[in-house]
Amino acid sequence: MTQPLQTPARPLIALRDVTKTYPTAAGSFTALAGVTLSIEPGEFVLVVGASGSGKSTLLGLLSGIDRPTRGEVLVGGTAVHALPERALSPWRGKTVGVVFQFFQLLPTLTAAENVMLPMDFCGMWPGRERRARALALLDRLGVADQADKLPVTLSGGQQQRVAVARALANAPAVLLADEPTGNLDSHTSVAMLELIAGLARDGQTVVMATHERGAARFASRTVTLAVGRVAGPEGAA
Amino acid sequence: MTAAPRWRKVLRDVWLHKARTLLVVLAVATGLVGAAAVLDTWALVRVATRSEYLASNPASAALRTDSIDAALLARVRAVPGVRDAEARRTVTGRLRARGGWQPAVLFAADDFSDMRIGALRPDSAAWPPPDGAIAVEHSSLPLVEVAPGDSVAVVIGTGEPVGLPVSGTVRDVGLAPGWMEHVVYGFVTRTTLARLGAPSSLDELRIVVRDPAADREAVRAIAWRVRATVEGTGRRVTDVDVPVPGRHIHAAQMDSLLYTQGAFGALALLLSGFLVLNLIAAMLAGQVREIGVMKVLGARRGQLAGMYLGLALGLGLVAAALALPVAAVIGHRYAAFQADLLNFDTAGYAIPLPVIALELLAALVLPAVAAALPVVRGCRISPGEALRDLGIAGSRPPAGRVLAGVSGVARPLLLSLRNAFRRRQRMTLTLLALATGGAVYLGALNLREAVRRSVAALFAPQRFDLTLRLDRPHPADSIEAAMARIPGVAGVEAWSVGRAAVSHADGTLGNTFVITGPPPGSRLLAQPVVGGRWLRPGDRNALVVNEGLLADEPGLRVGGPVTLVIGGRATEWTVVGAAAGTPSPAAYAPREALAGLTAGGLVDLAVVDAASDGASAQLDLIQELRSGLERDGLAVRSTQRLAETRRVLEDHLLMVAEFLGVMAWVMIVVGGLGLASTMGLATLERTREIGVLRAIGARHRAILAVVQAEGLVIALLSWAVAVPLSVPMSVVLGRAFGRVMLPVPVVWMPDGAAMLWWLGVVVTVSVIACAWPAFCAMRVPAAAALAYE
Repeated sequence: MTQPLQTPARPLIALRDVTKTYPTAAGSFTALAGVTLSIEPGEFVLVVGASGSGKSTLLGLLSGIDRPTRGEVLVGGTAVHALPERALSPWRGKTVGVVFQFFQLLPTLTAAENVMLPMDFCGMWPGRERRARALALLDRLGVADQADKLPVTLSGGQQQRVAVARALANAPAVLLADEPTGNLDSHTSVAMLELIAGLARDGQTVVMATHERGAARFASRTVTLAVGRVAGPEGAA
Repeated sequence: MTAAPRWRKVLRDVWLHKARTLLVVLAVATGLVGAAAVLDTWALVRVATRSEYLASNPASAALRTDSIDAALLARVRAVPGVRDAEARRTVTGRLRARGGWQPAVLFAADDFSDMRIGALRPDSAAWPPPDGAIAVEHSSLPLVEVAPGDSVAVVIGTGEPVGLPVSGTVRDVGLAPGWMEHVVYGFVTRTTLARLGAPSSLDELRIVVRDPAADREAVRAIAWRVRATVEGTGRRVTDVDVPVPGRHIHAAQMDSLLYTQGAFGALALLLSGFLVLNLIAAMLAGQVREIGVMKVLGARRGQLAGMYLGLALGLGLVAAALALPVAAVIGHRYAAFQADLLNFDTAGYAIPLPVIALELLAALVLPAVAAALPVVRGCRISPGEALRDLGIAGSRPPAGRVLAGVSGVARPLLLSLRNAFRRRQRMTLTLLALATGGAVYLGALNLREAVRRSVAALFAPQRFDLTLRLDRPHPADSIEAAMARIPGVAGVEAWSVGRAAVSHADGTLGNTFVITGPPPGSRLLAQPVVGGRWLRPGDRNALVVNEGLLADEPGLRVGGPVTLVIGGRATEWTVVGAAAGTPSPAAYAPREALAGLTAGGLVDLAVVDAASDGASAQLDLIQELRSGLERDGLAVRSTQRLAETRRVLEDHLLMVAEFLGVMAWVMIVVGGLGLASTMGLATLERTREIGVLRAIGARHRAILAVVQAEGLVIALLSWAVAVPLSVPMSVVLGRAFGRVMLPVPVVWMPDGAAMLWWLGVVVTVSVIACAWPAFCAMRVPAAAALAYE
């Protein structure tokens, strides 16, 4: 169902000597330092590490939400670090689906409308087909019955499922999930991990940052970050 | 077809903040009503005056001469450049309907039904008036309240009252309105005029030039040719009047008035634009994270900007839908009023479509332009920054740092003070809206005071109470002696009055002006001299000109010679001084010198200083004077109380000041709505803070006080800004008024009572504007407030 739109490049994701520093009141803070990483199409890569290790920064760079201070970020053959600002949003909307820890559903739109929104912004699928596609995605994620409800009426787990459906709306090449279970109870967290793993099994490339201890068993590979550096990739699951 | 999700989001955001959005829509609508009503008025008056005034085929020039007959008219029509010529007679007298006697001006012509110049528009079918009847001019009806079939009494000079039935009413768009001039205009046949005992020969020659595009100078040149033609027949031309071609006599004043009001209407609209800016900025500030999320989902900057600008356009559209019909109604009424001032009728005229289109465009563009800055700024934020947004808890503002050091102030009040400065841009814009309204209001009050002072200064040199015009000229000594004998007369002077024109070196004449001849050493006229000197006993051909004449005739200078044409004769004068006074051109000359030129040394005007100031005592004195003088063979043609003249002038001038004051109220409404909107936003943004206050024990009253005090801080600051801002505003208003109506001394500072009154207004506006936000803040449950994000 979630067919990548672009011809898979090998590797699909490549980070070459990427460094990211942030200016702070106490001086500059290096979140990532010389990270080099490759991810093949269809991989489910888990990024783990302590708080402040650079997990979210890494996902931010992959999605073009942030730009590297130095180094190159290539996704599907596109040099994301070099894309002009005006080109970043449409590229991101079509190529990358993002799932946030705090769901970030737009509160004044229903679940279905939240899923339709990326299609609307990126002009994907004819207008009359968008709702059907949104409903199909919500159905796949088990929340079709919540389609016409506002986020505030949904549970955390339901909201995160809607957020995943929204991330898949434009059939992106890569699904990036930043602590998607961080705001869920343990039971719901496991269900969410199974769901994402299922997507990966269907061919969806997934990069997920998490603290979840048991998540590694769902992933094909785990990358551990420590103080902004790759401490070592672990073997495939 | 359903709307795209992004537009549904926009609509639901609006619904979520409906009260605040409504305030902004109302503010824009209020500003729009102010601006559009003035524009509608201007358009209607312009359309009506142009079509009606030009349709009346107004006279290009009017000449006063002796008895005009068909042969003379034929000769005048043959003058090159003249398209048509007609004649009429103007006679002054008195008229009484149901009330008392009113001054009257009667017009007579050979054939009213064939009047082609300054054509009249009858209100009823009974036109023209038959012999022995009178048709009353429409604008005089408020004075006499007569209807066709009623009877009026008319007196010309010393004649007996003659009863005339009113045959109908008629409109003459070329006349200044009778109700304004306190004159009843009537139209009668020459036969009726003769029956009233008045001379019935025609003495006013009116011409229309062939070239409709001819300017005033070109018309003047043709008028001189006509004058030469008339004088070639042995007649004397005493007056040549050339008005500005195609322009009603009051049109320039009305245009200027409407431009001034329009400028303030536009200012009110601009202030409402600030509120749109506030609303959109606040909405964007509250949606920074959502903007970041939408960018992550693929939204381009242009798409996001389109959403918020679309919202602004929508607000403008709703405001236009509310405002434009209201503006049209006000515009029609105001136009009817303004047109009435000009003696026109706007009924049946529609607001031109381009004007409505312009208003609609302004309604749509203004909010979008106002929103552009915060939208561009808000949508430029990178998704990374947006997702890290921390809300309004940023760095402490400079005012906050100052307030942090303040001691001895109750904590809730200190909190209100700090809160007021937390959103500085929003506070500044709100404060500016209120302060501008205040400045205009105080400026309008200053203008009112300036007008009063100016009128007082204008009348101060005239130290008499009554003016009497005699039926025919008499020796000045005999007039003064006869009047001095009447009880109640404290002082009397007989004056000579005439009309003069400056004769230029090229042989042309300037416009005619009034020349007054007081006696040497006059006690009842003390015109302030701004250059040279006043008239002295022993002066012969000495002339004092006023500033209006100096402006009209730039060739005049104090100490220089001037040739004046008075009573058809050219005479040499020396300008000995320049006097302040009315902007209308005027001059002063020794009585005897002037009387020698106008009436063989005789005079027909007397001014009286009454012993008593009361209106009724003065009216009694007028009756005494009329009967006393008549006994001495000095018949009185007309009388005038100076106080009445002054009141009419003051009313005219103050009316303009009142109109400007109305714009101040439009602005205070916009400012009040802005304050309500600002406080609504502030309360919403600080829902969590209010929850904390509630959680630590703040009572309803304390929460209410915090919100109300914050509003009061802004209102008081606006007052503090409005007072100094009213100084330049007073200058602007005073100068604009001076150009439109009458030069007035600028009153810079508002008086204490006005400042206190405005303080009361802004405090009241603040309390009302903050009432709903304060009520909402009180009702927020602590738990819900603490959960608010």
